[in-house]
Amino acid sequence: MADCDAFFVQVARLEDPEGLGREPFLLVGGSSARGVVTSASYAARAKGVRSAMPTARAKRLCPEAVVVPVPRGACVERSRQVARVLSEHAPVVQPASIDEFYLDLTGTERMLRGEDLTRTADRIRREVRARTGVAVSVGGGTQRLIAKMAVGAAKPDGVHVVPPGREAAFMLGFDLKDLPGIGPAFLAKLQRRGLGSVADAVAVERDWLVRWFGEVRGRWLWERVRGIDPSEVDARERRKSISSERTFFEDVRDDDVLERRLLRLCCSVGRQLRAKELRARTVTVKIRDHDFRTRQAGSTQPEGVETDRGIFAVAASLLRELRNRRRAAVRLLGVGATNLVRQSEGTQTEMFDPRTTAATGRETDKDRDAARAADHVRGRWGRSALAPARVLEAPGKDG
Amino acid sequence: MDLTITRQNLHRALSAVTACLPAKTSLPVLSNILVECVDGGVRISGTDLDLWLRTTVPADVKTPGSVTVPGKKLEELAREMREAPVSMQLQGDQLNIHCGRSQFKVNGLPAEEFPALPEIDFGQGWSVVAKELHELIQKTAFAVSDEESRPVLMGVLWELREDEMRMVATNGHRLARMAVKAGSGGAEGKDFIVPPLALSHVQRLSDPEDEVEAAAGGNHLGFRLGATEVYTRLIEGTYPNYEQVIPKDNDRVARTTREDLARAVRRMGVMTSDQTHKIKLSFAAEQVRMNVTTPDLGEAHDELDVEYAGEPLEIAFNAVYLQEVLKVMGSEEVKMAFKTPERAATIEPGDGDSDYLCLVMPLRLVD
Repeated sequence: MADCDAFFVQVARLEDPEGLGREPFLLVGGSSARGVVTSASYAARAKGVRSAMPTARAKRLCPEAVVVPVPRGACVERSRQVARVLSEHAPVVQPASIDEFYLDLTGTERMLRGEDLTRTADRIRREVRARTGVAVSVGGGTQRLIAKMAVGAAKPDGVHVVPPGREAAFMLGFDLKDLPGIGPAFLAKLQRRGLGSVADAVAVERDWLVRWFGEVRGRWLWERVRGIDPSEVDARERRKSISSERTFFEDVRDDDVLERRLLRLCCSVGRQLRAKELRARTVTVKIRDHDFRTRQAGSTQPEGVETDRGIFAVAASLLRELRNRRRAAVRLLGVGATNLVRQSEGTQTEMFDPRTTAATGRETDKDRDAARAADHVRGRWGRSALAPARVLEAPGKDG
Repeated sequence: MDLTITRQNLHRALSAVTACLPAKTSLPVLSNILVECVDGGVRISGTDLDLWLRTTVPADVKTPGSVTVPGKKLEELAREMREAPVSMQLQGDQLNIHCGRSQFKVNGLPAEEFPALPEIDFGQGWSVVAKELHELIQKTAFAVSDEESRPVLMGVLWELREDEMRMVATNGHRLARMAVKAGSGGAEGKDFIVPPLALSHVQRLSDPEDEVEAAAGGNHLGFRLGATEVYTRLIEGTYPNYEQVIPKDNDRVARTTREDLARAVRRMGVMTSDQTHKIKLSFAAEQVRMNVTTPDLGEAHDELDVEYAGEPLEIAFNAVYLQEVLKVMGSEEVKMAFKTPERAATIEPGDGDSDYLCLVMPLRLVD
């Protein structure tokens, strides 16, 4: 795996080498009272600053830090450049996020004439740096999980390769919380059983792990702590979800305002779905109340939706449901689309004209055509060229 | 209340009635069943307020009375009791039960708290043979919608005419319609939109040879099946004009053995996507090719001999809709008819001796 070091910070510096390029303590993220750190320079990390930390707290830990917004466009462009260089070195490159890429070198053994994997990795790292300016760390191993864990050990700007046969021993050096796929809820369960480190879990027989955590998760854990990860690197791996969320400058109480914000999020999710020629059968709405209680509701439809109107019809009723259960001031609102179906899978034709059967929520061909036409207009005149009037009523003030 | 009843009779009545009790309810009395002494027996009722089930079984009643007690608990007790007469006495709101050397005291609620049954006058109704009703239900009810945004489609349309009755169900993507030559026998024509759950209880609780009486009252429909009654709330609204969507000019006709086609579609169905279940059928002279391509899973291809003489045709469907229709069709042969890849396809029994028709809307393919 190739992972760009403090990617957003690096890009911000590359964009402004004379200014930000010289700032040792640089934070990228929201600078408002409620903003959070997206990425911190290594010097700032040494002072205890972490990503996802509220910016206000980061500033207390590191008062000399300079905070700049995420250079989104530049990040996407640099990420593409990195991917291009990587794809010249590996037959399969799978982006795992904007700054992480899995490379499958299977089949290149003869081409590399038995070159040591560490040397190959180092060569790739140097070339990415030379051609894009971006420093990457490379972790290597026989499986995805090992490469991912190794890249942590390689950072910053280094290489770490786990030789074949040493996977289990390598894993023993980690805590369970370091494993990808172990979240806070699972971690709490593990702790209740007295399992903190990988070594703790390796000592437990598989049958017990299955009994404690269930068939699927028990087996999964048994395999992972031994460095076994059957998943393959797949460049075509499908997107499983598309989502959009917003933290507000000030908590929002007014239902009408929330609905308008929701519509705007639905438009963003819809645009991403259509750009990828996908439809979503499941729409979810997430709310974080002022007291940080996070709640979520979802609904699965027989037919996938791709238009802003279709997504909003489902999302609006979910939002009402969540608000009816607890009517607190809202800090964050999000919309997610999962259960994604390719548009090319075809459209189920309808027996009755939807207008006559009062199928209010259902997306029609007309809706789809209109959405595509609107995308076309936005493609030509810019994103803000066309938006639902309701969104325009509330001039954007959210962070 | 003081009565004696056989364990079997008690259990038979309870398992008939408790099937309609809601799994969760905010109204405690709905978890209970109403036990009433009537002439020569005991009558047991249960409801979830949309559906009522009531049955009467013979019992030896010494002192009349009535009470409501937790239905599922009483049913479990009746199932586990030894094979011996069961005696029940009421003490306040508590039901004391003795069976052999077993003794149970079950806390109940006063009978007055139990919701009243809909008032229906069976004298104003009609009667049909259960066998015919069963067939109508079995061949149509599967096609109802489960989408709450269109409540009328969640019910089965029951059209009652003087010399014929029909049932129709659809979810807007597939439709099933069946008619039998047995009508109301003189009563005026009526249409009802009936929740399929009520129909499945009617099917479960009646023998094919039984005579079923039906009658409507207010917004409810009642069925009398011997000593058992089923009452249901009707779905309000206007059923869409389904006749209008049934194509009359589908002239590309394919005939084949139902079982072979059903097996092939099931085989292909394994490889379809969980989301759309898309299967593509290509009809050409005397054969149909079936193709499934699911990007993350793989492909499936199959061929079947059919009688087909029309122009070559490529059409895609949700395989589940085809499977469901072919499963209930019942005939040895099926006749499928098409017009174009975007228009409704009809599927009928090949023998043509029953008035049964299914309609499936295709998946429109993207160019």
